[in-house]
Amino acid sequence: MAEQRGTVGGPVLTEWFAKADLHTLDVYESLGGYSALRKVVTTMTAQQVIDEVKISGLRGRGGADFPTAMKWSFVPKDHPGPKYIVVNADESEPGSAKDRYLMENSPHALIEGAAIASFAIGGHQAWIYIRGEYDLPYEMLRDAIAEAHAKGYLGDHPFGADHALDVRLYRGHGAYICGEETALLESLEGKRAQPRSRPPFPAVKGAWGLPTAVNNVETLSTVPWIIRHGGAEYASRGTEKAKGTRMVTVSGDVKKPGNYEIEIGVTYRDIIEGLAGGMLPGRKLKVFWPGGSSAKVLPASMLDTSTDLDGLKALGTMGGSGGIIVMDDSHCVVKAAARLLRFYAFESCGKCTPCRVGGNWAVRTYDRIMANEGSQLELGILERVSDGLQNGRCLCGLGDAAGWVIESTMRHFHDEYEDHCLRHTCNVGRALAHA
Amino acid sequence: MTALSAHLIDEIKALPARYPQPRSAVMPALDLAQEELGYLTPEAMTEVATALQLDAGYVEGVATFYTLFHLEPIGKHRFYMCTNLSCTLRGAEELVEHLRGAIGVHEAGDVSKDGLFSYEEVECMGACEYAPMCRVDHRYHYDLTAEKIDGLVAERRAPASAPVQASAPHPSPAHKRDEDVTSGLLPDGERGASSPPKKRAPRKKKADG
Repeated sequence: MAEQRGTVGGPVLTEWFAKADLHTLDVYESLGGYSALRKVVTTMTAQQVIDEVKISGLRGRGGADFPTAMKWSFVPKDHPGPKYIVVNADESEPGSAKDRYLMENSPHALIEGAAIASFAIGGHQAWIYIRGEYDLPYEMLRDAIAEAHAKGYLGDHPFGADHALDVRLYRGHGAYICGEETALLESLEGKRAQPRSRPPFPAVKGAWGLPTAVNNVETLSTVPWIIRHGGAEYASRGTEKAKGTRMVTVSGDVKKPGNYEIEIGVTYRDIIEGLAGGMLPGRKLKVFWPGGSSAKVLPASMLDTSTDLDGLKALGTMGGSGGIIVMDDSHCVVKAAARLLRFYAFESCGKCTPCRVGGNWAVRTYDRIMANEGSQLELGILERVSDGLQNGRCLCGLGDAAGWVIESTMRHFHDEYEDHCLRHTCNVGRALAHA
Repeated sequence: MTALSAHLIDEIKALPARYPQPRSAVMPALDLAQEELGYLTPEAMTEVATALQLDAGYVEGVATFYTLFHLEPIGKHRFYMCTNLSCTLRGAEELVEHLRGAIGVHEAGDVSKDGLFSYEEVECMGACEYAPMCRVDHRYHYDLTAEKIDGLVAERRAPASAPVQASAPHPSPAHKRDEDVTSGLLPDGERGASSPPKKRAPRKKKADG
């Protein structure tokens, strides 16, 4: 039996996760599920829904951290034809598994949230774009959608109201870039997933050329709770500017990896040493990625950093998609960076030259370094390639993320890079002065 | 003689109507073709293109972009081994090497002599709390060890000893789910035929909503 690894019975998202068979409509509804959708379609206007979510302060949990209510309000109200909610369930950020955890435990929460969001933008259809590897969540969502239709909670007259709502599924087929919203839309339209240049933004010209809001699984799964309890109740949690709770996935060298629901503002020490049980016996923390592999690394000395999203931005990193990858002193930072650059180079869609060429250039450089063929030259190349990948030189963030891995690991662990490049040694296992 | 069966072509022709624009049917169609053949041959892609009234080169362009489409023969059971950072920190590289020995192949993409197995190293599959992990036959397997790999291989070599397949186990709720639910699942090619689990609504094959 694979035991549940993460929060059950947390304040918001995981509130009901201890209940058996929560994935069924009967259990979900018995706890209060679908009361939010009922309230929305029978008693509220679209603007009232947006206003309530605005009060909550909810921000997108896919990594971009954009205010959800604002995103919905950008979708033109007077547009005559179809408008869409597209759910980004393509979770592929290394270190992030929380959307899978949410969908496997409570598929109806996502469906209810997606339906509420559709209502809020004046649309009738939500499309869940789910990564192809997620077989189990796909099957659970498919069954849950069928249950909701059978009950009349989705369909032409949900809860008897005169506003048709439907939620549909679309499976991805393996491409990290589909997590980028415009690449996802291309893929949904049956194309190679290459990001679009903006403007036009999806709110104006999104899926199939029509107004679209793209929201993350966790974001939408939070919405029913906000409607049930009120935006103010949600906003009473978290920090002054980053409200509420969020999911983090802790993985790597910790005793208790898992998906934890945290109140925004707790520190990484609270998460890594508290929730995740700390380091393995005899090991010391060396470095952690605070928000997926694309977030700039923080060394062990910064363990007391707050999960406050604005604070992380001020540090030059981000809370991202919540994937916290923890590495201890038995692992080599240069090797880890080399592995991640292989990932970014492989997943580059090839559209922008800096990303397509720079990623592979970095991989070849790391290959030489790992083969003990490095020198001062390689250190210089990595710095230049890192710079070339960043600062808006690419259409989407993939290039930037690749550059950040190089830059941040070199900044905090230059001695390890020097060991590899100049002395052809690896200091793994040796205590670091700054760790 | 066509590469794809007549009824599959019919099924593919019915796909475009499910989407706001017909082009969205290309990936679901390729999915069906791959499920029938095991991998996508040039002939199959051409037939998909014809059925969807698309250019064959366009369809191939889509197929080559996504890693879950296979353009070469693969084993009946494909091991997708995550070797991204969280899994590598917990020994994924050693497990890949062990898997190679267990299924008797030299490198990624090779098919074992009996046609049963192949593997590839893949990027993060979003189950990092259970690292190291892999995906085989549409199910995830967690906390991998060399012994678990051996077990996954052995039960696919001798399906007779695996649990009866008449009632493919449905995932129980996550907090009490058996990680090894695959043992009773049918191989890829027969996936659409597995028995409906409890409380499942009438099942449309590969229904998208």
